[in-house]
Amino acid sequence: MSGTDGLALATRGLRKSYGSRRALNGLDLSVPAGVVYGFLGPNGAGKTTTMRVLTGLIHADGGTVEMLGKPFRRGDRHRLYEVGALVEAPTFYPYLSARANLRELAASGAPVSSKRIEELLDLVGLCDRARDKVQGYSMGMKQRLGIAAALLSDPKLLLLDEPANGLDPAGIVAMRDTLKALASQGKTVFVSSHLLAEVQVMADVVGIIAAGKLVREGQLRELLSMQGVVKVRVRPNLVDAAIETLAPLAPAERLTETDRDEGWLSVRVATDRAEEVNQKLAGAGIYASGLESGTDLEMLFLELTGGQGTSSSEGAFVGLGSLNGGQNGGAPAGKGTAA
Amino acid sequence: MRLFFSGIRKLSRRPATFVTFGLLVGLLVLIVLAVGATANSTIGNANGAERGAAARELLTFPGAYERMLGFILGLGGLFAMIYGAAIAGSEWSWGTLKSAVARGESRVRYMLLSFASIGLMIAIGIVIAFAISVVAAIVAANLANISTSGLGDTATLGHLPERLLKGWVAVLEEAALGFTIATLARSQLAGIGVGIAFYFGESFASIFLPDIVKYMPFSVANAAVASGSVEVGSRGGSAIATLPPDQALVLVIVWLIGSLFVASLFSDRAEITG
Repeated sequence: MSGTDGLALATRGLRKSYGSRRALNGLDLSVPAGVVYGFLGPNGAGKTTTMRVLTGLIHADGGTVEMLGKPFRRGDRHRLYEVGALVEAPTFYPYLSARANLRELAASGAPVSSKRIEELLDLVGLCDRARDKVQGYSMGMKQRLGIAAALLSDPKLLLLDEPANGLDPAGIVAMRDTLKALASQGKTVFVSSHLLAEVQVMADVVGIIAAGKLVREGQLRELLSMQGVVKVRVRPNLVDAAIETLAPLAPAERLTETDRDEGWLSVRVATDRAEEVNQKLAGAGIYASGLESGTDLEMLFLELTGGQGTSSSEGAFVGLGSLNGGQNGGAPAGKGTAA
Repeated sequence: MRLFFSGIRKLSRRPATFVTFGLLVGLLVLIVLAVGATANSTIGNANGAERGAAARELLTFPGAYERMLGFILGLGGLFAMIYGAAIAGSEWSWGTLKSAVARGESRVRYMLLSFASIGLMIAIGIVIAFAISVVAAIVAANLANISTSGLGDTATLGHLPERLLKGWVAVLEEAALGFTIATLARSQLAGIGVGIAFYFGESFASIFLPDIVKYMPFSVANAAVASGSVEVGSRGGSAIATLPPDQALVLVIVWLIGSLFVASLFSDRAEITG
């Protein structure tokens, strides 16, 4: 494998099919060391299949995986001694306590000290409930225990599939801080998630896949800088006039009404053009009552993955708008295209 | 060894361990005490003398040792098969095998050491169940006013370790079969269901195909522990063709190794999803 220096994880041409359905179709990932990498994609895009391949649960039909600078092939299971993983839902013996579950899990793979188990129970806030049977745990508690299990071997590479599932807001913040702290220590955190907002505030690098292929990868900041958005609020009866006025600033497909009733419009231009947008509207006698500028990972995601995930193998949630005669023109609910 | 001891710790806390053992011992004690309590009350009935004699024979030592062991190994085989299926199936159903594999653990090592811990638990279970059954037989003998003078028969006691060891191997083979079926089914319930169907299916098929069924796993397990006397609780009947014990024991070992080989091979090749 070439061009993988400085990468904690790299896949090249990764392929995997389930029967006639192709889950991964030549996936090329380049995950730099010491970052939080957000792995995004619609349902059925191949995220979980990728996770399974990376943890040796399934074997790829083709392509290569390099982990922590060394090839990871069938039989290279020892490579996983330096990897921690939470794949899909966390799994435990329901009749054992959290502490006992971690202890028994630690009996497999790389050796783990009992001190480490106590540290992790403390980290995920389960010390007080560590003696309770896991069958009585809430989903959030199981998720926290799953994160503790992934961290058991103090891994250099952490693979987490939807780690925020079931966590309360405080738990999400704590998880995010923990993952960022791990990355700052030089560890690599690979996070698959549907929570775009969460990834936006946590990840340094993102990779977006659709239909088993990587469609975009790069530093989040750079990707978002190309995805600026200025949101402007005008009186609802002036929305059409505002769209007409702003048309010279952006092509029609980059000008959307996000909420007609509230009078919100989105203009996808560089964020430093917010003043120009305001000036243009004022020049036409339309005065904005609200103006926001920023970047939006969701827009980038929808653009790259085909909006409603039409290429997804799991189908897609079409939304009420589409069911009611396609009033939104088939676009994502609440994001009608103005043109 | 970490995995083996971990397996022991897990099984020693697992409800399935106590439920399986409790059912076996509970049934055994109930039947033995019932026989003891009613051994003398049947004398006045039609055929009562014959039945009373059979009951008294069951509780008379040293022969009672063999009969208690026969009961444990006969019914215990079915329970061991269910137990093996429950343990192996749960590794897939609960996803705990997945967690171990994702930590870099060898699938084959994990499965074989899990089974090794099952084997140890079964050995302990057989010994304790046998001890309890002997105590129950003594109590029942006293209820029926039967002498327990044969308790210390040195010839019988001298053979017991060998009989227990052979019985353990036979029960282990039945557990391995349940373990393998559940592994192939990747499910506790499916493993137990198919295992029970196989158990009774084999028994049923022996009526029509005795020359083939006598080589099948449950038949050879029964034949390997047969002592020549009628066994309480065993599926073996006088009409069913069986192999000589030594030949059956060889086949038991073949089935045991074969089952574990299939379970290991499947685990190694399986795609772990869900």
